[in-house]
Amino acid sequence: MVKVQLNDVEKRYGPTVALAPTNLSVTEGEFLTLLGPSGSGKTTLLNIVSGMTEPTGGEVWIDGVDVTNVPSAKRGLGMVFQSYALMPHMTIFQNIAFPLQIRGLPREEIRRKVEDVLELVQLPHVAGRKPKELSGGQQQRIALARCIVYDPSIILMDEPLGALDKKLREQMQLEIKRLQVQLGITMLYVTHDQEEAMTMSDRIILMNNGSAEQIGTPNELYFQPNSSFVADFIGQSNLLDATVAGEDRVRLVNGEIITVRHDAPLSHGQSVKVLLRPEVLHLREIDAGGNRLDATIRGSVISGSTVKHFLELDGGTSVLVEELSNGTNAAPAPGDRVTISWSVGQARVLPA
Amino acid sequence: MTQRRFKTAYFVIPAVVFMIAVYALPLAGVALQSVTDADGGSWSLAGYRDIFSSTLFYKVAWSTFTISLLSTTVSLSLAFPLAYFLSKQRPKVRAVLMIFVLVPFWTSVLVKAFAFTILLGQSGIINDALAFFGLGPLPLLFNKAGVIVGMSHFLIPFMVFPILTSLMAQPPELRRAASIMGAGRLRIFFRITLPLCLPGIMTGTLLVLILSLGFFVVPALLGGRQDMMLSNLVDFYTRETLNWQAASTLAVILFSFAMIVAYTLARVPGGSSLLGGQDR
Repeated sequence: MVKVQLNDVEKRYGPTVALAPTNLSVTEGEFLTLLGPSGSGKTTLLNIVSGMTEPTGGEVWIDGVDVTNVPSAKRGLGMVFQSYALMPHMTIFQNIAFPLQIRGLPREEIRRKVEDVLELVQLPHVAGRKPKELSGGQQQRIALARCIVYDPSIILMDEPLGALDKKLREQMQLEIKRLQVQLGITMLYVTHDQEEAMTMSDRIILMNNGSAEQIGTPNELYFQPNSSFVADFIGQSNLLDATVAGEDRVRLVNGEIITVRHDAPLSHGQSVKVLLRPEVLHLREIDAGGNRLDATIRGSVISGSTVKHFLELDGGTSVLVEELSNGTNAAPAPGDRVTISWSVGQARVLPA
Repeated sequence: MTQRRFKTAYFVIPAVVFMIAVYALPLAGVALQSVTDADGGSWSLAGYRDIFSSTLFYKVAWSTFTISLLSTTVSLSLAFPLAYFLSKQRPKVRAVLMIFVLVPFWTSVLVKAFAFTILLGQSGIINDALAFFGLGPLPLLFNKAGVIVGMSHFLIPFMVFPILTSLMAQPPELRRAASIMGAGRLRIFFRITLPLCLPGIMTGTLLVLILSLGFFVVPALLGGRQDMMLSNLVDFYTRETLNWQAASTLAVILFSFAMIVAYTLARVPGGSSLLGGQDR
């Protein structure tokens, strides 16, 4: 069932386009993430759904009702803010009870629901405290609990983990995901952190310059990016300039010819980009009819589970190779000549 | 940490010396004068005995109290909507409007008090306008009404600023969050905006109440004989009867009164910020 449907919504400020006409549907129980750099229009899109920004065109449907002209308060949504937006003068209990009081629930039912949801977010002992007495992660969980408690048709989250440190952020990602799956929450989530988006989402909308660059599962965005922007934004990537030199073949700027995989038909002489993920590259020659390129090591760093090698292809293009570290592979020294190779089908052609 | 905090203490030395010289020492002198006999010789509580047995004192203290309370109430009820309105404006518009709030400070209280006699008098602008519609005249001058008008006019900015500050300090997400949860405007106002604004209201109320306790020019010029306030009585003792002991005693009583008001308000919910506490 479709929970949220956007039909050609757009937002302009005079001649400036904050959001180009966008279509989108969020199905029940789906975790959909709006991902993109700042200024890409992801927050604008979220605010249009929440009703805090009025679109200059298009329609917003929630639960089968056109809510384009319905104020925030009557859209039946939940929202978690980066700043948590917990009421500082209320206790945690009062904060969570607030949306239930708005809905006129009896006192006893409110008490029971608040206790249940505090149990759910594993903070049953903080009911009597004020928000400032809790840590950032705890406040974030309370902010989520305050949404869950009144069962809104969709929960919007605007960079909810932006203020937390890395470790806690990763913990919270799993925690939010657990609750979302367990309760079947429909979630529209905004973040600029691609790892976060990959970890949590069922589908990701990658936004760029006010429009959706690609919509797909994390897998699709990573392995089948349809533009170099997507390839560059999601994960690490080597994007090599090349020209089409025949069916399945492209010529790199240094003259080497490699075999590639592509979806769209290529025309001879067309300029393209070749995507090579750092982890598909090997610092040795492998079989399987692999392509190979000669390069010079410029440096290597170990970042725990992986080793990153910074290489320079003959001709001057920089390439990153990432391998699993096993403690035994002798680190090549800067200046060493190496041959890199990859299985055919791992190199993907994107429009330049 | 503590040491570092006090490292810059010498920056306050000039201000402290100044305040000791022109405020603390004279005040101590006044306090001393109130507990010595008229010749300045031996200790004596005669001053207090005389004051507390004079019916004039009780009448004047009562009118001081009621006038202060009334003008504080009037200032609060006019200043809160004003501050609320200002808090909703764009910064540039607010800066311009703020100038109008500050206008009362541009003229001395004395000049304004005279100006009010023209506005409020029997044949003043207001009563002339009322007469044009066949109404009035209203007695607006040389009574409580005149005093309240004159005092509130001076006091409103002192109420507006702390309230405005605490309204603006509220993160807008709080209201947005409440709105998305389904709260209407009235509920947002009474459950969020107003409670979070209490420290500002308390600060403003305290400031205005204490300022009004010591008012002198306005009741002297715009009030009637019934509207004498404690400061006017101090003035009466020093200039008319040259009774310095009574004047000093009254001053000490007024001072203590103000301290009690400040302490009481600071104990009210939302008022602890007055004493540096964190209520929020």
